[in-house]
Amino acid sequence: MTDVVDIEGLTKRYGEVTAVEDVSFQVRPGRVVGLLGRNGAGKTTTLRMLLGLARPTAGRATVFGHPYAQLPRAAHRVGVGMDGIGPSNAATGRGDLNIWARTLGLGRSRVEQVLERVGLADDAHRKLRGFSTGMRQRHALATALLADPELLILDEPANGLDPDGIRWLRRFLRSLADEGRTVLLSSHLLAEVEQTADDIVILQRTLRYSGTVADLTRNGTVSLESSFFELVGPAAKEPSHA
Amino acid sequence: MRDLVAAEWRKIWTGRAWWALGLSAALLCVLADAGYLTQALDQLPKGTTTEADLTSTLVQGWFMVELVAALATMLAVTREFSTGAICRTALLGGGRGRVLTAKLVAAAGTGVVYALAAGAAAAASPWLFLAGRAWHPQWTMTTTWTLLGVMLVILVGALWGSLLGIVIRQQVVAIVVLLLSTWLVSEGLLRLAPKIGRFTIDEAMAAVYRSGNDGVLPIPWALVVLAAWIAVAGVAGRTLFLRRDLP
Repeated sequence: MTDVVDIEGLTKRYGEVTAVEDVSFQVRPGRVVGLLGRNGAGKTTTLRMLLGLARPTAGRATVFGHPYAQLPRAAHRVGVGMDGIGPSNAATGRGDLNIWARTLGLGRSRVEQVLERVGLADDAHRKLRGFSTGMRQRHALATALLADPELLILDEPANGLDPDGIRWLRRFLRSLADEGRTVLLSSHLLAEVEQTADDIVILQRTLRYSGTVADLTRNGTVSLESSFFELVGPAAKEPSHA
Repeated sequence: MRDLVAAEWRKIWTGRAWWALGLSAALLCVLADAGYLTQALDQLPKGTTTEADLTSTLVQGWFMVELVAALATMLAVTREFSTGAICRTALLGGGRGRVLTAKLVAAAGTGVVYALAAGAAAAASPWLFLAGRAWHPQWTMTTTWTLLGVMLVILVGALWGSLLGIVIRQQVVAIVVLLLSTWLVSEGLLRLAPKIGRFTIDEAMAAVYRSGNDGVLPIPWALVVLAAWIAVAGVAGRTLFLRRDLP
């Protein structure tokens, strides 16, 4: 079976700085894959190169066997929720989704369906500026789901969510995988990913691990957290705490 | 493509920018026409100007809508770059080339809307400003060409604003470049080095709407220069939009 995502020797340099170096991993269909790493580890850069938003310095990244830009009906097969991608100019949640639905050639009824699915139907008339962080995350998910995609790429979807929101997100992602969709999500919330993902990719500029959660945690005998820190090594500078 | 253009169109016409800018432009043009009228009311009795000249001048005063059309399309583009929404547009739009085309089509459509609105206001302005006065509008062929020139530069301005936004990306920088080039660079160059200054896009526009500035190009050449500026900005915009990483 063809891998949904195939990344081979991906490297990105910004001048002297190497953000991502020689990273290779695959994502199999129907799996929830957690992309883990510290802040600045290269997770978002890797996803941006996968989606053709940033040009790799070296290597290649394909989705369903094609670079994103050459994938037929890419926008209908891949749903994206990325940190840093803001809404359109529309004032309300529903207005924003209507613009993106129009871009995809979809009707307003689809907007209502995704709003219902992410639990925002009653708040979609509100101004986006007034959305809480949790509502913004749900709104981003709704946008990603508009085209009913086979693959979801979500960058830090749990950021800013309260415990209820995190639990909702976990169940939501699981339900997406149960429908046969593939989910690739980046996060630095280790415990969360441990409960959600089937496979793990750990980045710290270079690839540190790619495989199943079970293999990484030796079937649950070691925590994901210990394995993670063992693989990425100590932080360059210990954060100070008050 | 139709859906993509419709979405781009909706982005431009959503929010307050388009009507706030349109209202500001109308106010500026009315103020400018009021100034022209005051001057002309002194000159008409002396015979140093004519009703026909005044009619054309009042029509020409609406050229300032060009700046507003440029700002409206520029803001729509640069806002997307500043919020990161341009990434979603590129992801959902079926490729950057298609997105660029849709943005330019929507910008041109916006230019047409502003041009039609300004054209109607410009055509009506001689009658409105001279209502109840001893002088009457005299519509001549020159007035018709002036009106068409004003409308054309508004359309070009909308495209120019969109392309500058795509090339520069940063909203504040793009606005400063547009305003400085319009108010300082072109005028300054025309005065200091007229042989160069008349080839700027703003002075080529001035020639097309018959500003009466000394040293501007003949209208056919001015049209060629306008086309050249749009072509150069189009090539630069396309190259950068297709090749550069999106923010």
